[in-house]
Amino acid sequence: MLRTLYQQRALIRAFAVREIATRYRQSALGWGWSLVQPLANLLVYTAVFTLVFRIVPPPLGSNPDKSSFAAFLFTGMVTFNVFSGLVVGSMAQLRSNGELLRKVHFPAWAPVIGASLVQFIQVILELVVLIALFLVLLNVSWTWILAIPILIAMALFAQGVGLILSILNARFGDVQYMVTVALGALYFLTPILYPISVIEGSASWLKSIVMANPLSWFVLPMHDVMYSLKAPEWWVIPALLVFGAAVFAIGFKVFERTSEDIGELL
Amino acid sequence: MTNSNASSSVTKNAIEVHNVSKKFNRASDRRTSLKERLVRGKAKNTNEFWAVKDVSFKVPKGSVYGLVGHNGSGKSTMLKLISGIYRPTEGTITARGRLAALIELGAGFHPEMTGRENIALNGSILGLTRKEIDAATDEIIEFSGIRDFINDPVKHYSSGMYVRLGFSVAVHMNPEILLVDEVLAVGDEEFQRKCFDHLSKLRKAGKTIVVVSHGLGSLEGLCDEITWLDHGCVEQTGPTTEVIAAYLKKVNTEESARSRQITATRSPEEVVEGELRIKSASIIDPVTKQPLSHAETGTTMAIQIGLTTTAPILGPNVRVAFQHESGPLVAMISNHKKGIDFGTIDGDHEVIATLENTPLLPGRYRIHIDVFDHTGTQTLDNWNEVLEFPVRSVRGEIGQGFVDLPTTFTIT
Repeated sequence: MLRTLYQQRALIRAFAVREIATRYRQSALGWGWSLVQPLANLLVYTAVFTLVFRIVPPPLGSNPDKSSFAAFLFTGMVTFNVFSGLVVGSMAQLRSNGELLRKVHFPAWAPVIGASLVQFIQVILELVVLIALFLVLLNVSWTWILAIPILIAMALFAQGVGLILSILNARFGDVQYMVTVALGALYFLTPILYPISVIEGSASWLKSIVMANPLSWFVLPMHDVMYSLKAPEWWVIPALLVFGAAVFAIGFKVFERTSEDIGELL
Repeated sequence: MTNSNASSSVTKNAIEVHNVSKKFNRASDRRTSLKERLVRGKAKNTNEFWAVKDVSFKVPKGSVYGLVGHNGSGKSTMLKLISGIYRPTEGTITARGRLAALIELGAGFHPEMTGRENIALNGSILGLTRKEIDAATDEIIEFSGIRDFINDPVKHYSSGMYVRLGFSVAVHMNPEILLVDEVLAVGDEEFQRKCFDHLSKLRKAGKTIVVVSHGLGSLEGLCDEITWLDHGCVEQTGPTTEVIAAYLKKVNTEESARSRQITATRSPEEVVEGELRIKSASIIDPVTKQPLSHAETGTTMAIQIGLTTTAPILGPNVRVAFQHESGPLVAMISNHKKGIDFGTIDGDHEVIATLENTPLLPGRYRIHIDVFDHTGTQTLDNWNEVLEFPVRSVRGEIGQGFVDLPTTFTIT
């Protein structure tokens, strides 16, 4: 699998370049647009959840007396966006390349992975904004470095899921709508808008659901390393990487096996 | 099966197609949403059809190979099978060497990207490394002839420019096997010539080319061998001229089976004042005397005219005018002009005017007949628009205009 990916790096790169070149070409703000939506969400959610629901975020790692809901929320959002961006993007890519796949023979995962790389770069851009926010809050530590393997593991996991869903979506056109609904539910079943402590005492059954959600496995350590500035237990990040890689490998294999007739399906 | 001799070793074939069949399910049968799939269960494949059925042929390395057939004969499906876009349901296809398919030119172009960016993208899709693409880019731009616009987004290109760039990219990918699907009918004359020249160049360089077309004219000059597909099955395989002749013969036979024979009889009510009357007219085969449904360029045809008189007529002049469907009078023939005197006629007669090697080019022609007396001053009878007949060609395109002038050329 790795060899196949390496052999086709020029093709993946070409599709990534196409994605970069075409994404915001016709807009004046360009890549700025990619930040507008998360920032707007951040603003709305922060207002609603601090003023209306009065959720108290955990204390900042650098100063136990202070906390910032916006920073807490944005940390979770960035992590979640890796997943949702890659999954939705993958499904859209395979569909929009239908014309091409009907006329030229090439690996169908190449445009999917190429576009995902670009999507990942966009999330890194969001991460830069998050880092700026933490710098203002003077919440800085070496543990930030651990965010990189966590996000990479998340991207691998998301791509594995995205590959399978994109094939399903090529066959059944309504899959993308179901996924949109599912992502909306997952967003609230992941501790992004609330710290896990909020539901700990009141609803233990809900906590088990949230903890069974794989996305939580990535978001919780992200809170640790970015917000609380503490390293998770030594085995957490390697486990996430192994998990992400395994899901990616499975997704890739499934995609390869089922995409041979893709030209006829699309 | 192919007629390539048995001694030719396996490695001499660039492409080998072995008993290949391809089944499709009609779209109405497919479950296109997950809901439908869950509610109605798995689709029963009752509405399947075979686009290609048990097809075998071999394409020798370095040859130009043609696939012909009417619409829906499976020739384009066959090309997609070779290129790998489709997988055969049964049978095997072996292709040796890098393959580039011109199924549709510029298929991979993105409208928002510039011509230059699209060259890079298309090159990658066709399997080139960055180095190879960089090396070929200049040549591609030169060949396409759109250097001035190469840094503009291709959405601003005319369809002609689009196709030129697409063709240029595909042929410069240095493929060992090139698959071409009826794309040569695009662009202006000059660019078409350029394309043909380039294909000849590739052929001389030992590349294998497979062309799909129903434009026989373009295949004839290009291909070494042809496979003729009909309803997904191989009808005939062999040298170009042989297969094309057989193909055209069948097409023409089917045509004549469908169309009426060209013959006209004048109704008796159309009373003619004079003593001579044109009764009937037909286009016939001069040998069998059977009415034809069409004439063929270069093949002898005859016009049979039935006359009847009420009194002896001295030396009548029978004239036949040929008018092209677009209006112009192409020719007027008459027995007097050829110095033939019919003498005195009385009663029923049949005049047969034979056209050796019919020089009329393909098209539809109308015939008008009139008969003058021996002095050429008095009309005995005339019949306008007696019949209309098509002229076809078994040799593909021959030329432009109405007639094929008997010509010889010399150079000194």
